[in-house]
Amino acid sequence: MSVDGPDGREVVLVTRPSTAGPPHPIDTLRDVFASSVGAAAYTATTLVSLVEQTVTYAVTTSVNAALDRLVPVIADAIIERIDLTDVVIEQVDLHRIVTSALDSLDLTSIVLDRVDINAIVAEADIDAVIDRVPIVPLAGYVIDEIDLPQIIRDSTSGIAGEAMDTLRKQGVGADQLVSRLADRALLRRRARKVDAPGEPESLKARMAADLGGSDEVGDQP
Amino acid sequence: MTSFREYRETVEAGGAVDREMPALPSDAIVFQGDRAGFVSRAVAAGIDVTLVFLTVLGTIAVLWMLSFVVNPTAPGSTVSSTENRLPGLAIMIIYGYALNWAYWTIGWATTGRTIGNLVMGLRVVNRKGQHPNWAGAALRSAFCAFFPFGLLWVIVSRSNRSVQDVVLRTSVVYDWVVGIPGMGRRAGIIKDQDAAAT
Repeated sequence: MSVDGPDGREVVLVTRPSTAGPPHPIDTLRDVFASSVGAAAYTATTLVSLVEQTVTYAVTTSVNAALDRLVPVIADAIIERIDLTDVVIEQVDLHRIVTSALDSLDLTSIVLDRVDINAIVAEADIDAVIDRVPIVPLAGYVIDEIDLPQIIRDSTSGIAGEAMDTLRKQGVGADQLVSRLADRALLRRRARKVDAPGEPESLKARMAADLGGSDEVGDQP
Repeated sequence: MTSFREYRETVEAGGAVDREMPALPSDAIVFQGDRAGFVSRAVAAGIDVTLVFLTVLGTIAVLWMLSFVVNPTAPGSTVSSTENRLPGLAIMIIYGYALNWAYWTIGWATTGRTIGNLVMGLRVVNRKGQHPNWAGAALRSAFCAFFPFGLLWVIVSRSNRSVQDVVLRTSVVYDWVVGIPGMGRRAGIIKDQDAAAT
C-alpha cells in the first residue's frame, strides 16, 4: 500500500504476520505458582471463617444453655440469702423514684379513667362523714345566706306587728325621757348602766368588749 | 357571697353571728339587752293587771250566771238579791291577787315573759341572764303583787332596777325577738361573751 508523503514522495507501508513463538517455561512456571498461591489463600480464608462461625455458634449455644440452667439457681440462692426489701430501702432513693414517677404521671386522669368513683362512694360510710360535718354551723350559714329572718319578717309582719313595734318604740322613748328627767333632777352627769347579762347581748356591752374596755356590764347589787 | 369556709372561720374566730338581729327594726337593735325603763315596765304591768282584772270580772260573771242555775229564782220573788249571788269583795281581791301571782309566776318561770311583757318587748332574766326558776319567779311575782310601788325605784335607779330587781337580783330587759333564751349559745352559734358578766 502506498500513500503520498508531505514532500510529494510516495511512501510504501508493508504489513507482515506476527512471529510469536512458544511461551517461555519460566513464565509458565511463574503463572502456575501465582495461581496456586491465590487459590490456597482463598481456601484458607474461607476455612478460617467457617471454623470461626462454627465455634462461635457452638460456644454461644452451650454457654446460653448453661446460663439458662445456672442463673435461676444462683439467683434464687442469692435472693434466699439476702433481704431484698432491706437492700432496696437502704440502697435505693425511693423518694426520688416515686417523685419522678409521679411527676411523669397524670394521676388525676389515671384515677378518672381507671377508678370507679361511684363504686367507692357507694361503699363509703356516709354516716361517718355526716358525723364530721358541722351541721349547726352549716344550718346557720344557710340561714344567714338566704337571710331567713328577713324573709320571715317580711312575710309575717303586718299591721299588727308594725303597731306593736311602734308601741314598743314609744315605750322606749318614754323610758329614756323619764330616765333623763330623773337624772337631771338628781344632778347626775354619768349615763345609766343598763347592760344586763344574757341574751340578747347588749350592743353597748358588745362594743365595750370589742374595744377591750372593762366597763361594768352588769350592775349587780 | 360568703363561702362556708369563711363563715366557719368567722365563727371560730369569735365573730358573733346573731341572726335574731336582722329580724328587728334597725333602730331597735341598739337597745336590745338593755334594762328597760319605767314606762315600758309600767305599761306591761298595767296590761297584765288589766288582763287579770278582766279575768276576775269574767269569773264573777260566770259565777253569777251559774248561781241562777244552782239557785233559780221565780219571777216576782223578793228573795233574790245580788249580794247573795256574788262572792264578797275580800274574796274577789284575794282571788285577783292569787290569779295575778300565779300568772306572773308561770309567765316568768317558763319564758320570762307575760303578755304585757310580750306586748312591750320585755323579758325578765335572773343574774345569769336566764329566765328565773320557779321559786325565783314565784318570789318575784309575790313581791311585785304585794309591793307594786317597788317599780318606782326604776326611775331613780342608776341601772333601771326596781326594788324587786335589787333584792332578787333580777333584771327586765328589752328583748323584742321571741325565742328560747340561751338556745343560740347552747347550739354554739353565738359566742359566749357574757360569761364574765355573770
